[in-house]
Amino acid sequence: MSDRLVQIERSRPRGEGTMDWSGVAAATRGDRPDLDVPQWDEPAADLAEEARRALYEVPDPEYPISLVDLGLIYDVTADDASGRVEVTMTFTATACPCIDFIRWDVRERIREIPGVSEVSVETVWDPPWTADRITDRGRRLLNRAGVSV
Amino acid sequence: MTPPETETETASGEGGETRTLYGSPEELPEPAREALGDLLLVLADTKRVLGIHYADWILGSPTLEAGIACSAMAQDEWGHGRILYAMLDDFGMDPERLEHERGPSEYRSSELLDEPTDSWPELLALNLLLDTALSVQIEAMRESRLEPLHHKVSKILDEERYHFEHARGWTARMASTDRGREATGEPFREAWRACLRWFGSEEDELASGLAAEGIVDAAPGELRRRWVMRVAPSVAEVEPHLVQETEDGWGSAVDPDWEGWEPRTRRLRDAPGPDDEAILSRVRGDRNRSLLGE
Repeated sequence: MSDRLVQIERSRPRGEGTMDWSGVAAATRGDRPDLDVPQWDEPAADLAEEARRALYEVPDPEYPISLVDLGLIYDVTADDASGRVEVTMTFTATACPCIDFIRWDVRERIREIPGVSEVSVETVWDPPWTADRITDRGRRLLNRAGVSV
Repeated sequence: MTPPETETETASGEGGETRTLYGSPEELPEPAREALGDLLLVLADTKRVLGIHYADWILGSPTLEAGIACSAMAQDEWGHGRILYAMLDDFGMDPERLEHERGPSEYRSSELLDEPTDSWPELLALNLLLDTALSVQIEAMRESRLEPLHHKVSKILDEERYHFEHARGWTARMASTDRGREATGEPFREAWRACLRWFGSEEDELASGLAAEGIVDAAPGELRRRWVMRVAPSVAEVEPHLVQETEDGWGSAVDPDWEGWEPRTRRLRDAPGPDDEAILSRVRGDRNRSLLGE
């Protein structure tokens, strides 16, 4: 995605680092046996791919599917040499009350990857998220959980 | 005007002509930049304070469903306010100060929002007339030449669609009883007068300049016409003498009153600003906010 299309919503990074969401993250990630994480036969080709795969382990706080399957992750880029990872994502609503700790969760999960030096998470609102962005896999998982989409 | 080097060319319109886009507010020529900063602050403040009015009806609405809808609409307004305040960083304003450190006279929210909303019909007038006015103004930025702006518009308008449906449905419900129509009359008349002038006058050079620069797609008179067309069918159900049918749709039966109007703030000059205790203390988050910082 070109820089032109990446519009950073500037108010969100404010206060980052002052709020510890690890308790919430533990609840939304560590204790979510309902989350179906895909398995890959081949190792990730590069750091960007590894980071994208890792985000399948970060669930939406409400629904038992990952942020990737929910369609919130728009782009993941990485520089293998420096270990810098950049995630471009959106949220279902402009006033989603989970924005802070979802961003925290994304950053923390990617930081666990060996070789990652820096993670930035950018929020964009264009194109707007709609339920059409849920992946086929996400739809199957939601249906299995009794949620129709 | 000589286009700055950072501008990007893009195809636009059915005629296939190209137009230049601005990648950031710094690239905007004056006075468009200043006028847009003014407008964004008006929109941010109005949405933020409108959110408080919606929030006041989460409990005590006529039905449980209406209360839940008010909760959702309050949340939306605050989300939109957050996006708009954040943008003002690029206009040389400090979002932290804007959101948390201003007094009543510095707010640019519509004077309709200065006092708490006492009745459901008053809230409904804000929901149908003021909230829709904001959406008409924002919709005019959908194809804005300022890219950071038009990238945020679609999401905001997606969420606002339901506000309009809510307002339209409830206005029809009020129109179905004599008592409902009677209670709705005065709040609608007051909100109509305020919203009619909210877009600004045709002589407002700054607002017209934004249209000429392609930051918004129409001048104040056209925006007002769009707003009237959208809300008039509902208004006609409860307060028919405010509107009139015309050859191409609807018009206002009354003219805007510009007495005391301040174009930059889009407020009446002598209006005091939002009630500091009842409204702004909550808008700013005064209580307990000191716990968050040094």
